[in-house]
Amino acid sequence: MRELNVEALARVEGDGGITVTLEGKKVKSVTLDVHEGPRLIEQLVRGMTPADDLNVIPRICAICTLSHRYAAIRGLEKALGVVPPEKAQLTRDLMMLGENVESNSLHTFMLALPDFLGYPSAIAMLADYGEDVKRALRLKKFGNHIMAVTSGRIVHGENPIIGGFGKYPTKKALDEIKAKSKELIPDAIRDVELFASLKYPTYSEAEMVFMSVNAPNKQYGFAGDTILISNGKETSAEDYKTLTNERVVTHSFAKRSLFQDKPFTVGANARMVNMARRLDGQAADLFEKYYDETWLRNPLKNNLAQAIEMLWSLEHIPEACRHAASLDDPPIAKPTRENGSGTGAVEAPRGTLYHHYEIKNGVIDVADIITPTAQNLDDIERHMKLCAENMLAEDKKDEEVRLGLEMVARAYDPCISCATHLVTLKRI
Amino acid sequence: MHKLRDAPGDAEEDLRRQIEDLAGDGRLYVLGLGNTDRADDGAGILVALALKKRFPSFSYSEHDGVEGTVLDISEKEEDATVLFVDASNMGLEPGSIKFIPKDEIKETEITTHRVAVALMASILEKSGKKAAVIGIQPETIEFRGRVSKPVRASVQKVVDALLRLMMRIDR
Repeated sequence: MRELNVEALARVEGDGGITVTLEGKKVKSVTLDVHEGPRLIEQLVRGMTPADDLNVIPRICAICTLSHRYAAIRGLEKALGVVPPEKAQLTRDLMMLGENVESNSLHTFMLALPDFLGYPSAIAMLADYGEDVKRALRLKKFGNHIMAVTSGRIVHGENPIIGGFGKYPTKKALDEIKAKSKELIPDAIRDVELFASLKYPTYSEAEMVFMSVNAPNKQYGFAGDTILISNGKETSAEDYKTLTNERVVTHSFAKRSLFQDKPFTVGANARMVNMARRLDGQAADLFEKYYDETWLRNPLKNNLAQAIEMLWSLEHIPEACRHAASLDDPPIAKPTRENGSGTGAVEAPRGTLYHHYEIKNGVIDVADIITPTAQNLDDIERHMKLCAENMLAEDKKDEEVRLGLEMVARAYDPCISCATHLVTLKRI
Repeated sequence: MHKLRDAPGDAEEDLRRQIEDLAGDGRLYVLGLGNTDRADDGAGILVALALKKRFPSFSYSEHDGVEGTVLDISEKEEDATVLFVDASNMGLEPGSIKFIPKDEIKETEITTHRVAVALMASILEKSGKKAAVIGIQPETIEFRGRVSKPVRASVQKVVDALLRLMMRIDR
């Protein structure tokens, strides 16, 4: 018997690892062991006012800071009976587009691409793919810029609030973003072509169930009040518990999710599968060109989905800017009640994120947060198990199996990828 | 590992000489890294913010966006050196300052939260620029803790050394 270990795995700024126990070529078990102590944020915000909650909640993640903030705002606004003005909605859409460009560019190029091209890291890749790395950094910088303009700063911006924005971006700032976005579209197209040209290993393939928000007005997007499931069903976000069924496991501080007792996937590939017909522009053309049925089985295709999604985001930023700039800055919408409950569902770059709140007498009584990674962990384990089994059946070398496992983990989520850089093989 | 002498002024003098050897007469950019919520971990940010008052176009902090700043500098048509200033656990006395040449930069891990300094330095080098790290040994990185006395003194030493160099180049 032997073990394949993925050391130093982090879920969200975390500490953990993956252990694959093997008996000959048979995989006995796969455990994704998250060692990071629980941060108890849901308990921490109990008794806080909704405004104070917004100062704490985004600290869960410094890369998805705006997704957490936005999910919290959506949940809190529902609970408090707040209807945000149109300009607030447009500006929120813009900030999510920016975060998507920022995160997808970083993940695809810096974390995922070196594996496909056979380099140990983006640093090693620089000599041969210097222009590609710089192109990714240009996109990341632009995403960061949009996040800073809309939220007030690059990380943990305080500007988006319940009922609107403390300060709306100026017309000049929006015009600059609009122009820059158009300028970067050819870069994003090159990225899609690059990711479409990669060879995607098939070892981890298996039928998948995908979940994502159902963006309003039959459009592609990053927020919604209902959840689409790739089996054709649709469920209110308020019923998120029936979808996620969170549970604890003994080997991990991270909670797990199962839908109808089976693992499922959230993320860019889930959004593409569930909302593909809503894509437009060149993103739609390229999706049409490169989509095939392996998207429904191969988690690695998430990288290609992220590249196409980044293009879609860039194509939609100009319109969001134009529309927002055409409207006067509205007053902040006020709460209409002090008691209520609500669930905010948004698409963080790595998948559906839920923030549920119950408010009593103006303070938070219950907070429940379900992150994309908590939903993906079981499916990561499932695909890693398949990957190990299939590679070992072909007598692949340990080094190759290690890379295969890392690629599956990285494909899912940069919060995991950041610490799954090292896989060690332990023989017993 | 080089151990800095304790006599007042030595740290700045050593640092200045090493930077001058690397940068020559070229333009100097400072990029302060770290987390000011964690006591001494914010040393690099404090250096950058102090220099920003006098050199707003040549001193940046992590709050300005690391990758974007590096990318912009890499595309400039000038002889330039970027100095990343960061709290670094080097096993030295708290407040020790160390000049770390590009090839000795150990931080190579790219995460969702930060692109590695080594990658940034490599991008700069590929663009004909030079890069190095100025490390300051922290005493404490306690969350919401205060910057320790030795690190506060070292931040000032680094600021003084860089100010003198940048003012000379600015002339």
